[in-house]
Amino acid sequence: MEKLAGVLLSSLFAAGLYATMSYGLAVIYGVMRIINLAHAGLMMLAAYVTLTLNVRFGLDPFLSLFLVAPLFFGLGMLLDMALVRRLPRGGTTPSMQSLLLLFGLWLVLQNLAYLLWTGDTQSILTPYTMSSVRLLGDSYGIPLLLVFGVSLLSLVGLDLLLRKTFLGKAIRAVTQNRDAARLSGVNADRISAVAFGLGTAFAAIAGTMMSTLYAFTPDFGRSFLLKAFCIIVLGGLGSFTGVAVGALVLALIENLFAAYTPIPTSFQDAISFSLLVLVLVAAPSGLPALFRSFSRKAVAR
Amino acid sequence: MKLLRFFRGFVPACLLVSGAGSAQETVRIGAVLPVTGKESKIGSAYKQATELAVKEANDAGGLQVGGKKLQVQLTLLDDTSDAAKSAQLVEQLITETKVHALTGGYGSQLVQAQSVVPERYGVPYVSAGAGATSIYGRSKWVFGTLSPVEHLARTQMEFLADLVAGGRLKSPLSIALITEQTEHGNDYAKGVKDYVAAHAGAWTLGLEQKFELYAPDFRPLLGRVQAGKADLFMADAHLEDFISMQRTYTQMGIRNQMITYGARGADEAARKALGAATDYIFASGWWSDLLPYPQVKAFDERYKAATGVAPQWYHAVAYETTRALLVAIERAGSLEPEKIRAALAALRLEKSIVPGAVLYFTKTGQADLPFVVTQNKPGGKVDLVWPKEARTGEAVAPIPWK
Repeated sequence: MEKLAGVLLSSLFAAGLYATMSYGLAVIYGVMRIINLAHAGLMMLAAYVTLTLNVRFGLDPFLSLFLVAPLFFGLGMLLDMALVRRLPRGGTTPSMQSLLLLFGLWLVLQNLAYLLWTGDTQSILTPYTMSSVRLLGDSYGIPLLLVFGVSLLSLVGLDLLLRKTFLGKAIRAVTQNRDAARLSGVNADRISAVAFGLGTAFAAIAGTMMSTLYAFTPDFGRSFLLKAFCIIVLGGLGSFTGVAVGALVLALIENLFAAYTPIPTSFQDAISFSLLVLVLVAAPSGLPALFRSFSRKAVAR
Repeated sequence: MKLLRFFRGFVPACLLVSGAGSAQETVRIGAVLPVTGKESKIGSAYKQATELAVKEANDAGGLQVGGKKLQVQLTLLDDTSDAAKSAQLVEQLITETKVHALTGGYGSQLVQAQSVVPERYGVPYVSAGAGATSIYGRSKWVFGTLSPVEHLARTQMEFLADLVAGGRLKSPLSIALITEQTEHGNDYAKGVKDYVAAHAGAWTLGLEQKFELYAPDFRPLLGRVQAGKADLFMADAHLEDFISMQRTYTQMGIRNQMITYGARGADEAARKALGAATDYIFASGWWSDLLPYPQVKAFDERYKAATGVAPQWYHAVAYETTRALLVAIERAGSLEPEKIRAALAALRLEKSIVPGAVLYFTKTGQADLPFVVTQNKPGGKVDLVWPKEARTGEAVAPIPWK
């Protein structure tokens, strides 16, 4: 029983990290129907900005979120106005041009990082990096707990923004039906710019937090991006609560397999992507939609 | 008018002759290295060390080849850490620059891509940056100065066996063997497993696991290590994974009697990232500036004076590889590819800076040199603890966990 509790807790904390790195992708996809392939590059860039703030000004990575997130929000809006907006609209599916543009942007960001920070492996060591606390008999690193806390706050903040503010309602309107939102007087282009800024800010929050957990180079983020794709598909493409659910399901499956089966942990990615294929076939609208359908059937019976 | 016609014919003829003459007067060496891109850190170091070795040879008057002193002309190209580009640039050096021999290449993947080209054109090639055994033995033109990773693992087992013999560790010992899903990781695992199989009874393999490069979460894997309660933690990992894994290992409060991450341990970036959590980790390497040979001390001083950088293993190996190639060309007494190749195959570079002090290639073309073992000590100190005769400090075993 104690082992199961440990596995559940580990999954919860891992889910916090997974969700954080997926919110940005979900925001942009939800509003703009664009898969932001530059997401990994933006996370990497934020990790380097956090490092620079830490080395130059001694700023704690978690405090630097207050600088990094607004900075990247602005950068995202600029990118939208300068690049993304100029693309032809792809309807309900991402256009090939948007994929190519954002992949190109990722490569540019990588090379910029090589130029500015070289290819040396970098990391951030804080007084609490190696510290841990004991919960239910297992030790957990303080940075992972802080990442989980920030992830929860992000989810709550995003939910409040979307449900309680006019901007949030406009974002939801554009997400549901861009043309109808326009007919209702919503400036869909401005909302798209805000959404791209928001997605970029979430990528930056993820990058900053990951800089406290991992060592990084300009190549950083590739494997995380793949996992994030998996999570937003599990979560039902564009649903933010779904992202949190998808992250939790993925983390649970990974940890349960590691704890209770002899399957090598190197098959972790294979498990994630098998799950992705299964969900795409069985429930293309994501796990929350599948749960809803089950509960409706149960009520009908 | 006649004079003009004469000059029209004479000048190009002179240029042709002088061109041909200068082509004869230099030894053309080519190298393709990842100076930019993801391998740029070590690729740039290889470039610096290769250039220094060539500069020293030229400053000393050049190479004595067939009774003539010839200057060395190095053409160095950047493959941007791209394997396809790497092979293409090697081909360019052979077909357009007409190099007499090739050196360079860093990273098993890039060297693997490069190594098929010399066979096609019959040009000697000496790599300084790949220890994977699969690269060698397929072409008589390909040589490499990094000893097999399997031997790195064997050296670590011999070091541990010596600690058992000295009563510092108590046999039988169980091992948690954790390796990355790469050729490097597989070779390391094979080295450990072969040794355990050959010394059954004294060692057991308590757990064997592989992991994907740059894994986002090492907790499930390390959970198995913790549950397995092995005596020794032996891993093989890239620098980024070493840092992430050791952070999680420390945070989870896992305690093994000894810890290694293969060739990783004393890296400055890791010590900066992990602080005291790297203390007592032992690592094996192809070179250490702590080797007690006069030539190592002299190289260390020369390198610092020339570049302002304290040489690491990658500087030393790249430098010595280039030097070995230049010595082989002198011994060949000719710029003919076959003669250079034969000289490389027969080479015994005495008073070398490599561990064992003699650089040579086996029948497969890969060097088989001893490895050194270092151990991190508190306060950022590193001691050479193996081989015994070269050690600068006693190995601390088992780790004195607080």
